[in-house]
Amino acid sequence: MNLVLPLPLVQALQVLTIALGAPLVTGVIATAEGRLQGRRGPRLLQPYHDLAKLFGKESLAPTASGLFFVVAPFLALGCYLTVPLLIPVLTSYPLPLGDMGDILGGSFILSLGSFVVAVAAAETGDPYAQLGSSRSKTFGAITEPVMLLVVFTVAIVTGTDLPYVLGATVRSGPDQIVRPAHLLVSAALFMVILFETGRIPVEAHGSTTELGMIEEARTFEHSGPFLAALRWGSWVKQLVLFTIFLNVFVAPWGMSASARLGDVTLAMVALLAKALVLGLVIAVIDTSFAKLRLFKITEFVAAAFLLAVLGLFTLYLGGG
Amino acid sequence: MTDVTQSVPGLYDGVASSIAVVVLLLEFLMLRAAMLRAQVRLYAVQSFAVSLLAVAVAYGRDVPELYVLAALSFLLKAVAVPAVLLRLMRNADAEIAGSGVLGVASEVLVSIVVAGVGFFLVGQLGIESDVLPSAALSLSVAVVLVAFVLMIMRRDVVSQAVGFFSLENGVSLASLVVAAGMPLILEVAFLFDLLVAVVVFGVLMRLHHARTQSLSTEMLTRLRG
Repeated sequence: MNLVLPLPLVQALQVLTIALGAPLVTGVIATAEGRLQGRRGPRLLQPYHDLAKLFGKESLAPTASGLFFVVAPFLALGCYLTVPLLIPVLTSYPLPLGDMGDILGGSFILSLGSFVVAVAAAETGDPYAQLGSSRSKTFGAITEPVMLLVVFTVAIVTGTDLPYVLGATVRSGPDQIVRPAHLLVSAALFMVILFETGRIPVEAHGSTTELGMIEEARTFEHSGPFLAALRWGSWVKQLVLFTIFLNVFVAPWGMSASARLGDVTLAMVALLAKALVLGLVIAVIDTSFAKLRLFKITEFVAAAFLLAVLGLFTLYLGGG
Repeated sequence: MTDVTQSVPGLYDGVASSIAVVVLLLEFLMLRAAMLRAQVRLYAVQSFAVSLLAVAVAYGRDVPELYVLAALSFLLKAVAVPAVLLRLMRNADAEIAGSGVLGVASEVLVSIVVAGVGFFLVGQLGIESDVLPSAALSLSVAVVLVAFVLMIMRRDVVSQAVGFFSLENGVSLASLVVAAGMPLILEVAFLFDLLVAVVVFGVLMRLHHARTQSLSTEMLTRLRG
């Protein structure tokens, strides 16, 4: 277990952990939700079976759609899988490619992924898919400022905008955790994550009512391997966001400080365990709140914006 | 910018400012609350947070008489006043506050601007306190200003009463920052001032409800010139 892994391999393991762990996290959330609602819920490994099934099916494309419709799902998956190279997934020290982009760059790549999906959905000519893509872009435009404020606050706290540095700052002592700026920004980020992963109170996950859909509606016209890539992409995006929230903001512990095989394996287990705990919290939120009306979503986002702005204010006053 | 990154507050300062931030956030929640009872409950929680801050100061800065103040203000503001308000509201059948002048999201944005103005104006004064971080003073001014916004925007008697009481919470937060060692008798006098306000608002609510059969102030336009 003392075998020292080469750093590029550790970085590849970061991507692999996210890619292979994401369906598990989704499965656990779905099962937990089922149990909380008094159902048995799907099996824990159901998402893996879904992927295998979908990848084995034939795919159809609407007649009017072009090449982009076919490429987009894989492009989006590629975008989402690029982000784990930039953020601390397994290690508490920066990896070789970790300085390719800062926390802002990471969130740009995430938005690029969802933009690609929205364009592909708009191309299909299906009214529901187009509705989903236009809605997700409309609300995306009002959550983006919140994300930017979170990044600015991080930048002021640490003097840089590299996610590794903020993780280290949070680890440095309890005084960094209780400072209002950190608490407020973490709460704002959590609300953004609820929005981005399509959870209650923004959107009923896995619902079948088209009119209430935002993110889910965009995949209506895709089928077979394309749908599999889209689903997988959205699960990966969810785990990436969870990882940013956990390993940078809330619980940057349990990460490997070396490149030894044992430490890295332990870090993988720790990351998945933390993500599952967060998933359970989200499952509880999912079952205990009602979905907001579409026009109330601006209020939800306004609340997140308020938290982020207050975080910035308190920092400037020196009490943050 | 650089001096901001260097000043990391200590553990005590961090906790104290976090509680002050919670007080402000509760003020914002009152702005969003649609149910009258929810608003009163939020006021109770806010008063509890202020008492908690008093306990934190008493413990962290060793000011024992603040324990008494914390206990008194908890009993009065977190238990007695909300109980009286809820009792008064039991007679009125209104449950839902009339919508404000603006939509909720715009109200929140307006309040963010107003709170920001308060924040930075007080920050410019450079008042230093030896018991609490100066951010707490700015936060308390922001609480007062947002309470004003609440009273101006909402068009029902209960919201206006709760806005006024929570304004007093902001003021007691400020007094914790500026004069934590203020003689206890003065603090207690402030608290009993609040009781007078409760009585006045109670009479107002009853009278208003008896005259117009509602808690909304929208109909009070006859005095307009």
